[in-house]
Amino acid sequence: MKVARAVALAFLLAIGSVSLLANLLAPATYAEQFRELPNAPPSSRHLLGTDDLGRDRFSRLLYGTRVSLLLAPVAALSSTILAALIGGVAGYLGGRIETAAMWITDLFLSLPWLFLLVAVRALLPLNVSPQVSVIITFGMLGVLGWAGAARVVCASSRSARDSDFALLARASGVKPARLFARHILPNLTPALLAQFWISIPVFILAEANLGVLGLGVAEPLPSWGSLLRELENYAAIGRQPWLFVPLLLLVAVVTCFQLVLPKAELPA
Amino acid sequence: MNREQLMSEALLSISLSAEYAKKSVLRKLTFQIERGEILGLVGQSGCGKSTLALAILRLLHLKGGRAVGMIQLNGLDLMSVSERQMRGIRGKEIGLVLQSPLSSLNPVLRIGTQMAEAWQAHRRGGRQECRNALLESLANVSLPAEEEFLRRYPAQLSVGQAQRVLIAMAVLHRPALLIADEPTSALDVITQADVLGLFRNLSRKMGVAILYITHDLLSVSTIADRIAVMHHGEIVECSEPQAIFTDPQHAYTRNLIAALPSVPGLPTIKELYSTAVKSHATGRG
Repeated sequence: MKVARAVALAFLLAIGSVSLLANLLAPATYAEQFRELPNAPPSSRHLLGTDDLGRDRFSRLLYGTRVSLLLAPVAALSSTILAALIGGVAGYLGGRIETAAMWITDLFLSLPWLFLLVAVRALLPLNVSPQVSVIITFGMLGVLGWAGAARVVCASSRSARDSDFALLARASGVKPARLFARHILPNLTPALLAQFWISIPVFILAEANLGVLGLGVAEPLPSWGSLLRELENYAAIGRQPWLFVPLLLLVAVVTCFQLVLPKAELPA
Repeated sequence: MNREQLMSEALLSISLSAEYAKKSVLRKLTFQIERGEILGLVGQSGCGKSTLALAILRLLHLKGGRAVGMIQLNGLDLMSVSERQMRGIRGKEIGLVLQSPLSSLNPVLRIGTQMAEAWQAHRRGGRQECRNALLESLANVSLPAEEEFLRRYPAQLSVGQAQRVLIAMAVLHRPALLIADEPTSALDVITQADVLGLFRNLSRKMGVAILYITHDLLSVSTIADRIAVMHHGEIVECSEPQAIFTDPQHAYTRNLIAALPSVPGLPTIKELYSTAVKSHATGRG
């Protein structure tokens, strides 16, 4: 298991750094069209061939990986911060506030996640620039993805609140707000770290789902979601197996995140 | 109230009832502690000893309890002061030491950080001033007064060291009263003896009065000026240790003494006390 974790971590780091260097490593930009060569099979010039607009798939995969792999953690960070505030404060205060917060959390959790994303995305402006679509997509994930984490954090916060050391801090005259910030919050770190790490693959998949539906990152900007749309073309899949490469990469990355996870669950 | 009356008044004067969800735990429990005195409060598990400790600090609601009655500290009725005022008293006028040293320390914070929090709750001052105060308080409880020690995490301490850290925190602001709730029951006998000695020294050195709550009649007798025996939420007997052992008034006290371990062939505690009353009294000066 230790080896698997190390390999997974190395793989994620490698993919992450390659995608960060996309503009150096990619043979073309993500939008450049080789109009004389649409739908080309893999060659030494186009490692994964070109799509029907003549764009180099390998370059688009690199840029798309960068979008998904960088912004999913950002979204995970914002949803984890929301979870820390909502769950942490609710568990710390307890009573009616905790009941109300957990009621809202349950409501969020009982809504089908993909349906919620699609509905909210449909409410927001659809005809926006690619850059804005990226912000909307991952912002939405960050704002809507806190519920599961909030419940876990709420439980840790409650147990820290009821602990002897919190009692002793109160008996030392520490103010409630400071008690939360200096004594309770540090105890939530392991739970928050685990939730952050769990959220990343969930958000990567959610973005891919939205992308397949055309509700994710807008063209011409690539993301894993929009790259997977090419798999909609059933007829082409059999003849062009290299179309599966983005999917394989997605599965590999999400799997690696899961493999690395147990490490993050250990208390800091 | 003139100055003389104030001086003659007890440090802490209590008459308290407490309940958890209609279940009565303390029944008009009444006692007083003089300045600098060590009062041992003895009773069996579940008789409401810890409830009392929390009630004095007005923290009983955290455990779902409710207290009514009178708690006077230096003539100030703690039941009627505002929460804000009460916060100024917790840790500053009244220190608390709990039973389990390791769970009383925040596992993810360094010793120095937790102690600094307790210091900053009542003092405003620079980093250096805070450091000096912490190192001095470590020295007070015979712990290494070193920066390295302050950088440790609770898991890096022995149980005895952890309890000393907690005692150092409790007397950081030189409170008038220290409440120790079963402070030695998690310790082995040798560490226990050390910690008991530490309480006595602190009491002498700082003049802090100690309410020493325990189920262990024997160990508290070694340091207490008076012993109050608690049974069913009431104080059934309160007098000096030798009187408790040689002439117990209440049936429950007699049960407590009868339950003390005795070694075959050696004199019982009661016999020892009877012969040692005089030397004990002079020994305490």
